[in-house]
Amino acid sequence: MKKRVFYWISGSNVREPVVSNVVLETGVMVNILKAKMEPREGFLILELTGDEGQIEKSIEILKKFGEVEDIPKIIQKDDEKCIDCGACVVHCPVGALSVDEEFKILLDEDECIGCKNCAKICPVNAIKIFEI
Amino acid sequence: MKTVHEINEKIRNGDAVVVTAEEMIDIVDELGAEKAAVEIDVVTTGTFGAMCSSGAFLNFGHSDPPIKMCKTYLNGVEAYSGIAAVDAYLGATQTNSDDDIDISYGGSHVLEDLVAGKEIELVAEGYTTDCYPRKKVETTITIDDLNQAILVNPRNCYQSYNGATNSTEEKIYTYMGALLPEFGNLNYSGAGQLNPLQNDFNKETKTYNTLGMGTRIFLGGAQGYIAGSGTQHSPNGGFGTLMVQGDLKEMSTKYLRGATIPKYGSTLYMGIGIPIPVLNAEIAKTCAIKDEDIAIPILDYGIPRRDKPELGVTNYKDARSGKVTIEVEIEGKKVDKCMRSASVSSYKVSREISKELKNWISNSEFMLTERLEPLKSAAPKPMKAKMKLVKDILSRPVVVGSLNTSITEASRVLIENNINHLPIVDENGKLSGIITSWDIAKAMAQDKHSISEIMTTYIVSATPDETIDMAARKMSRNNISGLPVVDSNNKVLGVVSAEDISKLIGRNGLHKI
Repeated sequence: MKKRVFYWISGSNVREPVVSNVVLETGVMVNILKAKMEPREGFLILELTGDEGQIEKSIEILKKFGEVEDIPKIIQKDDEKCIDCGACVVHCPVGALSVDEEFKILLDEDECIGCKNCAKICPVNAIKIFEI
Repeated sequence: MKTVHEINEKIRNGDAVVVTAEEMIDIVDELGAEKAAVEIDVVTTGTFGAMCSSGAFLNFGHSDPPIKMCKTYLNGVEAYSGIAAVDAYLGATQTNSDDDIDISYGGSHVLEDLVAGKEIELVAEGYTTDCYPRKKVETTITIDDLNQAILVNPRNCYQSYNGATNSTEEKIYTYMGALLPEFGNLNYSGAGQLNPLQNDFNKETKTYNTLGMGTRIFLGGAQGYIAGSGTQHSPNGGFGTLMVQGDLKEMSTKYLRGATIPKYGSTLYMGIGIPIPVLNAEIAKTCAIKDEDIAIPILDYGIPRRDKPELGVTNYKDARSGKVTIEVEIEGKKVDKCMRSASVSSYKVSREISKELKNWISNSEFMLTERLEPLKSAAPKPMKAKMKLVKDILSRPVVVGSLNTSITEASRVLIENNINHLPIVDENGKLSGIITSWDIAKAMAQDKHSISEIMTTYIVSATPDETIDMAARKMSRNNISGLPVVDSNNKVLGVVSAEDISKLIGRNGLHKI
């Protein structure tokens, strides 16, 4: 399974190799989708891939050094705003955006890596980004 | 066989048989055109795409004391008000006058906000007269405060449109959307088999069967009219356009949407649907036009000229599949290039429009009109404007250096020739780098001795047939002051510098270019 989390790390712990610890201790696959380090704190978006036990344990370790918050999605498509033109589709590097048989534009949030290419291209600002 | 009057009688009685242009395809396939013309009374079409040539006439009513509005801004977007005291025309592509907001909020967004019933800031200035003593007005309005809000779109509803791709090595941003480098995508627009003008077009006579000035249509969710042929109307080439008008106050944001095409600007997505009365078999046949029968010429938008090279032709069926393959020439070799195709208009909404119009007619809420005049036959002419090409201002004779040239020698060549750019060529005269006087200054400071150490090898170059406007834009985009000019074999023909261009514009004055 795959799980995406916001991770806030407190200033006193920013020197800890937290992500490496998580990988070594649990064997979970970690994909750092975003990282922003400030003088007294750090913000990350992590994608954890592994079985349920591995992910649970990873979160336990993460929680020792900071705070974990679930994020079901990094970007979201506003279906009210979307005019289903399809200009975004070719700009998605991972195929998370597609056109269905009824010519509706679909976003597969599990596949999305949050690159924001679609948001930059959308003529009607129908893509909402969750910033960290 | 049938008349519009007879069909209207049926609509009034709720007996008319109305189908969408998509449904008509199967009906004609099954029954044949003759029988279909007997069975079917009206075919409805629809399209929903970016129609830059859109806007609205707005009448604000008189303030007390009255003002003669000369400069008028709605949410910071200028509307043209050189019409009468309190009338203005707001164009969809007008950008915001505030640089910080830039192109992300323009005329089209104001139009959408008006239709949505939102409050709009109105700022207007004028010069004072005896009857209009007021200098400035600042207030907020909604669409309900306007006496009239009449959408008048000079060029809408293109019958066909080009597909756009990009042969260059850089991503470009066009009114057809962002085009990835090296034929990365093919952007196309239009509703194909649902397109109103396609369904009404008689290929033999190059005229429209039923529509014309005065035809009542679906416009932005309301009932509007065809005011005549649109600007650049060109039915001979299959590129007919319409001028349309309707009451903005009755429209819906579902079918009228402000949009921003990245790094191009704002545009209005307009929903248009046209009913076609099936008066005879010929009309029935035309209404059964299919996606695969409608060609999309593929043009190279990487060449920013009026006549862009046509690389091939596809059709709406293939374009909608998401992949289109064309044969292109790369470095003298013909190769098949598979491009991902993307629509920049919405087929889903086009379909909804054709269905909504069908419902209106079936429910006796929309009556057909007979046209007052057919659309005129016309072919657009290009603008008579003089153009300067790079080869016209190329510095001659060509001064180049080789990889063996020493830095001291190079600096001497620059000084003697009073130039700033020295292209470095290999033994065959082909471009391998460029050095500037700045590179030499840097070499002195950093104590470097060979040309290859200091020359720039990532070179932005120009061709002799490029316009100087293109060369100027290349320099400005890449923040450089000169371009080596090369032929198709990468052989250096000369250099065009920012100085050459500024001399041309500065000395002669723009009008002489």
